[in-house]
Amino acid sequence: MANFRRFRPEDLNKLSKCNLDPLTETYELGFYLQYYAKWPSLFQVAEDQNGNIIGYIMGKLESSPDVYKFSEHYLPWHAHITAVTVAPEARRLGIGKLLTEQLEVAADANDAFFVDLFVRSTNHKAITFYKSMGYSIYRVVKDYYGDHSSDPTKDTEDAYDMRKPMKRDVKLEHIRENGEKFEVDPNDVW
Amino acid sequence: MSFYGRHPRPALKNSVDVQLQTAFSDGNWPSVIRLADKRFKSLKDPYYEAIKISAESQLDSAAEKCSVLVAIDALVKSKTVPDYDVLELYEWAARDFLEDIDYADTLGPLRARWVKANPKSPLAVQCLQSCLEYWDLVSAQQISATLDKANVNTTDRRYMYWSVLLTFLLSISPQCTENSRKIYSLLALKQLERAADITENSPKVEPTDRGLLTEEEFYLYFRVLRTLGFKEDYLNRLESPKLGALSQLKADRKVLFWESLDVLESWGEWDRIFDLCKQALSLGLDGETPEFYVCDLRIWKKLVAAASKVANEESALEEVQSILNRFIAIKDKANAMYRKNISLALLETTFRFPATLLTPSPDHGGLTPRVIQIGLFLENYYDRLAAFDDVKDYVSQLSFEEAKAFTEIVLSKMLEENSDKTKRVILKALEYKIRYLLTTCPQTLSHHPSVVDGEEQAKPYRCRFCSKLASLPCEHCLKQMIVEAADTHKQIANDAEIKDAIPKLDRDPRLDLSLVIGNALLKLAGLKPQTGDIAPSPLRDVDSGLFLRAVVVLDSQLKETPSDTGLRLLLVKLYLLLGCASYAQQIWIPMDVKRTIQDALSPLFFDRIGSLSPGLFQSTRGLMDPLRSYYSNSLRDSCPLRIWDAFSAGSYSSILDLTEYDSRLRRSSTLMMTLVEERRATRAFGGKLDGDIEVSPFTEDIGDNTELVNKTDYGSFTNLEGSQGPPIQDFVRLGPDLSNVRSHLSFLTEQYLDLLGFKPPKDYKPAKANEAAIRDRNYIIETLARLNNSLTMFLHKSETPLFLTSAEMTYNTVVSLLSASLLTSISTSRADPVPKAVCAIGSSVRSAFAHLRTSFYTPLPTGSSSSPPDIYSSVINFHTMSYVRDTALAMKYSAAFVISFHEKELARDRTGKSSLHKEVIAEMKALDAVATKALMELKKHVQKMKESLGEGGWLDRMLDWVFGLEEDDEQEDEVAKAVEQVIGGRAEAEEWVSKVLESWREGAKGWGMVRME
Repeated sequence: MANFRRFRPEDLNKLSKCNLDPLTETYELGFYLQYYAKWPSLFQVAEDQNGNIIGYIMGKLESSPDVYKFSEHYLPWHAHITAVTVAPEARRLGIGKLLTEQLEVAADANDAFFVDLFVRSTNHKAITFYKSMGYSIYRVVKDYYGDHSSDPTKDTEDAYDMRKPMKRDVKLEHIRENGEKFEVDPNDVW
Repeated sequence: MSFYGRHPRPALKNSVDVQLQTAFSDGNWPSVIRLADKRFKSLKDPYYEAIKISAESQLDSAAEKCSVLVAIDALVKSKTVPDYDVLELYEWAARDFLEDIDYADTLGPLRARWVKANPKSPLAVQCLQSCLEYWDLVSAQQISATLDKANVNTTDRRYMYWSVLLTFLLSISPQCTENSRKIYSLLALKQLERAADITENSPKVEPTDRGLLTEEEFYLYFRVLRTLGFKEDYLNRLESPKLGALSQLKADRKVLFWESLDVLESWGEWDRIFDLCKQALSLGLDGETPEFYVCDLRIWKKLVAAASKVANEESALEEVQSILNRFIAIKDKANAMYRKNISLALLETTFRFPATLLTPSPDHGGLTPRVIQIGLFLENYYDRLAAFDDVKDYVSQLSFEEAKAFTEIVLSKMLEENSDKTKRVILKALEYKIRYLLTTCPQTLSHHPSVVDGEEQAKPYRCRFCSKLASLPCEHCLKQMIVEAADTHKQIANDAEIKDAIPKLDRDPRLDLSLVIGNALLKLAGLKPQTGDIAPSPLRDVDSGLFLRAVVVLDSQLKETPSDTGLRLLLVKLYLLLGCASYAQQIWIPMDVKRTIQDALSPLFFDRIGSLSPGLFQSTRGLMDPLRSYYSNSLRDSCPLRIWDAFSAGSYSSILDLTEYDSRLRRSSTLMMTLVEERRATRAFGGKLDGDIEVSPFTEDIGDNTELVNKTDYGSFTNLEGSQGPPIQDFVRLGPDLSNVRSHLSFLTEQYLDLLGFKPPKDYKPAKANEAAIRDRNYIIETLARLNNSLTMFLHKSETPLFLTSAEMTYNTVVSLLSASLLTSISTSRADPVPKAVCAIGSSVRSAFAHLRTSFYTPLPTGSSSSPPDIYSSVINFHTMSYVRDTALAMKYSAAFVISFHEKELARDRTGKSSLHKEVIAEMKALDAVATKALMELKKHVQKMKESLGEGGWLDRMLDWVFGLEEDDEQEDEVAKAVEQVIGGRAEAEEWVSKVLESWREGAKGWGMVRME
């Protein structure tokens, strides 16, 4: 039922299966098009037999600004997963995993040291999913989110910055084993 | 650099003194003018004069504001190379005019001139960027060519490809003159051909070489070749071992492969499609790409389709089978998605292969390999949310014997063999959906003679499942299905174990059951596809009791499964049909259709909303603001959004796609719908319009030949209909979908109303009144002639009635006639013979209008199983009512326009020669009288409707209407009971009735506020 291919702007007219789901955020047009303009190979979709988009991943390639070169929080050239979503009808088929793998192929092709992403620290399902794909927690960004997904008494939530090393990181210098213990401030994340 | 909106204020040169710098950055323009003037006089540096002019253009007076335009014009004419900083200053200072002046005739050529003189300057790229921001492709192409020439040996390959790409874009753009188009096409193609040759013939391409090297360069080449080159060249390059689709696939790049399949299909090159797909799939098996990388369902479908079209079909199909078998052998290693794709590929093969090639099965009637394969597929996937959609098209293709075997043997066996209660209800829900689907497939019916034993037969078919006489679909089977589905629903409601298991399932089976019941009731009610020239209301000939039962079942299900968007969208459409726009809005809002998805999804709620419920525009502040602001943000610049990002990243295929997308978005039917709906609602309440629709920045490039595009996304509708018939959205939409024709007609009729409503400013007193009057008259005549030509052209297309409701057709026809009448009236002065056409047109207008009114006021036909209250025919007819009003007002305004013109001419020209004939004036007064009478009548109708809805006792009347019927036939009685059972009894429906009533009252209240004059 699915085809995997690079995003095309026309796909924005076929997003309803993904974006009418309350768990998926809809962005301004410029946001999607910026990703397509700058990093087209990191914007992949899954479509059903009728051309409806049933999953997509958006990513970018970047490093921290040079001014932070000597900061301990400096991020070298890497790919970042900005959004990944799968329509309710297409879940439990490994589409999220396939999309992520395709982004990793593009990350390797672009010589990235690692792929990283942010996930809510209470989103155990997503954390388990990413761990199964070789991602590990690199650091905890305290109070990164301005709300809490499960506890209404709290108004912030921590994020896990998770990473997976790519081929360029031969010596695995950009991941760490006990990332849960490294806490940083949201201001340290660029 | 400081920012003022989109246009950054440029920094002055460092050499400028602090005092002037400070005044400039503070925006203290009088000081800047004074200081710059002083510096210019003392230093003789023209830069200071430019500062002065730029500062003057920030002042309020028109002359000073325009001084920068004069300066730019002088620079263009001078042919000298301008100073870069002066250009920056002028571009910023002229920012408010840049939408009106042509960048390509002013700043663009100045930028190109500067780059030509300074090709190595890093600022040259800024000039390119500026030209692209104003989408001046001519200057951008010149700049890029200069940059390419100046940077031949650089490792930055973008210069060369910017030049090629811009030459290509220019060659296909309206900005290119016809004489130059061929040269630019050839230039772009030849440069890329040369690059392709270099790559083809070099052992290795270095970054400094001018060959194709990066992924994006390859894509650009093939796109240009496809558009401008010869087919044979494209085909040869596609098979090239270095450039072709397979070599790209080996490098994990799928784009070219995907694109080439579309191109080859459009050329009917099935042999090549077959070879390409076969080789691509073999790459995975041979270890040259990841095993399942190319295992997309589309590739399998193309391979199978191609195999059945090639010369040696039998051998090709054997090859397909062999590849598929190899994948089946390793499918356990595959990801779940690819496993499913392979299973679907097997199904596809079974349906496309000639029966002689399939493994023969013992003769079990309809139990063919096709049926068995669907069964095998469902054994693995029946509990998945997409199971029905996956097999739907295949089930639709089964012969009746196969369909019978599938439902009676395969599905029954699956049910028998499954002892798990929850899984059994999932299977049952799937079974009902498939049975419903089959009722929509014509092969399940046989023709029945129209006369038997001398008696005329009421129904044209005999159902091959139940042997009863039937229409399409079979009513008996639908009723049977409703009763059985309701029983299963009840079984779930009474079983705690199943209910506990539901949250863990992909989908609540009660949702499927309700959808089957709801859809079956809609069909039993007689709902037909709304595909053009429909009766005043789509519900006019529909059994209201059965229709409302469908709605109440679906509404009741929404409480259980509020997050199901398919159900929500269906209900939105049904409530709009029912005249409950405010309730439809309540169901629509939680879907949070916002930002980017509005263009594709907003028509599902907003299309024709002004005609259905103008009151919504009063009760919801800024009802369509999000849509308007979406288009304002997305189409603010003349260039495609994010285009420079794509240029600077070297994403050439993205540039082409962004350009195409931008062009499409500017021609969106949803955009036109937004403008028109807002204007109609504003006028309905006597509000002030923002300006003429023609001068809106969104419509400036729209002419009669512009194709306005409808991209409404129906992908989330749950469509249980067979593929041979129309999808569900065609049944539940108020009328035909958005279209190029309807959008154009709306645009033209709005322009007509703008002309009629034009009032000159109060202080407008032309010095030469007679000359001004002649000019005005000429303008009116020209505009009317243009509008009449365009309206006539669209209305005379044979397919136009298919795109409009009958009310829209009448309205547009009347406006077209009125424009012709006004044109004749105004262009014929008393000095000319009496224009007889005016009376003939007037008669046609009155006749069309009378027909519209008759269709609106005609009571609903009797004879349905339920008797709706009188008010029902009004609430389901809001759309027609709206057009009765709009048509009457168009007549009234037209008459007023002509009479006012006549009176002005009489006052101006005492000889009376330029005023109009008394016959014309009499005709206009007659039109006005008809319209005024109709509007009075409508006002009374609305008042009566409001009063009627305000009366007491509605709750019981409604409940009796929906549930209290004594059904004649036993099966219908069972259906009624089934519905009551699903919604939890009559008492449970009371809340629903209240909501429907409240929504009707709100609708009527809104109509009460609408001006009828």
